[in-house]
Amino acid sequence: MRHGANGALEIEVGIRHRLGDFVLDVELATDGPVLGVFGASGSGKTTLLHAIAGLIRPDAARIVIEGRELCARPGGVWQPPERRHLALVTQDALLFPHRDVRGNLVFAPGARDRLASDDGRRILEVLRIEALLDRGVRDLSGGERQRVALARALLASPRALLLDEPTSALDAELSRDVLGLLRQVKQELGIPMVFVTHRAAELLALADDCLVLEGGRGVAQGPPIEVLRRPRALGTASLAGVDNLLRLPVSSQDPEGGVTILDLGAGASLRVPLHEAGAEGRLDVGFYADDVLLFLERPRGMSARNALDCVVRSVEGVGPEVLVGLRVGARDIHARVTAAAADELSLRAGLPLVAVVKTAAIHVLGER
Amino acid sequence: MTDAEQEIVLLSLRVALLAVGASLAPGIGIGWLLARWRHPLRPLLQGLVMLPLVLPPVVTGYLLLFALGRSRPLGEAWHALTGGRIAFTTGACVIAAAVVGFPLLVEAIRISMLAVDPRLEQVSRSLGRGPFHTFFRVTLPLSLPGVAAGAVLSFARALGEFGATIVLAGNVAGETRTIPIAVYTLLNVRGGEAAAVRLVLVSVLLALGALLVSFWLSTREPRS
Repeated sequence: MRHGANGALEIEVGIRHRLGDFVLDVELATDGPVLGVFGASGSGKTTLLHAIAGLIRPDAARIVIEGRELCARPGGVWQPPERRHLALVTQDALLFPHRDVRGNLVFAPGARDRLASDDGRRILEVLRIEALLDRGVRDLSGGERQRVALARALLASPRALLLDEPTSALDAELSRDVLGLLRQVKQELGIPMVFVTHRAAELLALADDCLVLEGGRGVAQGPPIEVLRRPRALGTASLAGVDNLLRLPVSSQDPEGGVTILDLGAGASLRVPLHEAGAEGRLDVGFYADDVLLFLERPRGMSARNALDCVVRSVEGVGPEVLVGLRVGARDIHARVTAAAADELSLRAGLPLVAVVKTAAIHVLGER
Repeated sequence: MTDAEQEIVLLSLRVALLAVGASLAPGIGIGWLLARWRHPLRPLLQGLVMLPLVLPPVVTGYLLLFALGRSRPLGEAWHALTGGRIAFTTGACVIAAAVVGFPLLVEAIRISMLAVDPRLEQVSRSLGRGPFHTFFRVTLPLSLPGVAAGAVLSFARALGEFGATIVLAGNVAGETRTIPIAVYTLLNVRGGEAAAVRLVLVSVLLALGALLVSFWLSTREPRS
């Protein structure tokens, strides 16, 4: 593969581009290997990605990837997209409808040979494509289409993948599946990525470095968990979905049960998918506020492993939804429910509740 | 049908096929330009291409004669090059039929190329394929049903071409006397009506067949 052996991705970008009233104005330098670009819709994420891919010609831009100047405008170098070796994967898989799965996979130059090589077989294996090879693309499911799109991009042997919200057209379960595959692609195939998303949990799960965009400007950059904890970035996050980010000590491991038990303080604990503890015996975990269910009483006969006693600290209406602040053990988490559900439960500060979170809904981010 | 009538039908078919064959490549090129080119001059190009659709065919024929006649620069250049002439030959029939059928061809191609998701072209580029490969492997195959439908439609139009042909190519038996011109000639001859009716029948069948094929093609999706 073409990228460096360590999988790092050195990117230097300076872009100024006007689109009607909107101005994208971004300065960025990163070592990757996975750069997350985070922001609400309309923040300029896709425009930035298209500029890096060479699909738009910015008014003024300098883009350098791994020491190679791809673009210096106005008046300088212009590498067309096909010479940049940056493969784009979008929200809709955008498979070529007139080709079957195999025809899509071998589309890029050299992809036919690569498909038959060990690298190619590894890609098919990781993305579970073998069984799909001779299918037409019209009857693939959403998750299958996205896996084929990823394989097609990887078989182009790119320097880096450019991912434009690759999970947002999928339902929650499929998007977790694709996110897991992306982590595998990152870890096992070592491909650097620029990853655009409006979901904080995806950023935490995948990105090493993170740029937060707001109204076309970069407002923060750094490791995701730090960037998202900054109040300014959380302003952005609340537009897209407040997420629960916790750094917790590991209290015990249960390999047979497939869970790691984390200490929430004050005797409460959180069961998360089995994961080795980090250097200081801690783990970073994240989960969507939507994935927290609220009950007035402890439910019985339940598959979810986490039923946490908690107390309501705040109830805040956000459009048709209600964001509920909860105290669990010695920590604060958020749940999001509909206004109707909040009425029915008569949610108010001080009310004791049971918060239920599926173990599988919790992303372990490791310790950074 | 008599031998003479069969010859007329064959000449008509040959002229229409050559006209479509000659306009296919430029039609695809201009259809693509009109679908994808963002330029202030695009409406002007579109207007020029569409002009033969709204001009009286006789006027189109006159303009062509004006451009290609023996004493005009283009006609002269052709004469110097080949020693022959353009006007009043089978070639002139082909040119007249091609020009008059061209708007139908281009419009069908333009519309089917507009329907191709430009993001598929972007993905192709980002996968390492240049604009030519992207055009021939993505855009063109996906708009092929429209290209074929446009070709059939302009073929049918070429078969019926009269006004521009009579001005540019005249009425030379065996060379420029296509079905419509033959029908017109026969109707002006005492006792020619029976032959005219036979040619009219052939004309109706060919046109209807072409229309049906074009409808069928335009409802088909590209192969997958």
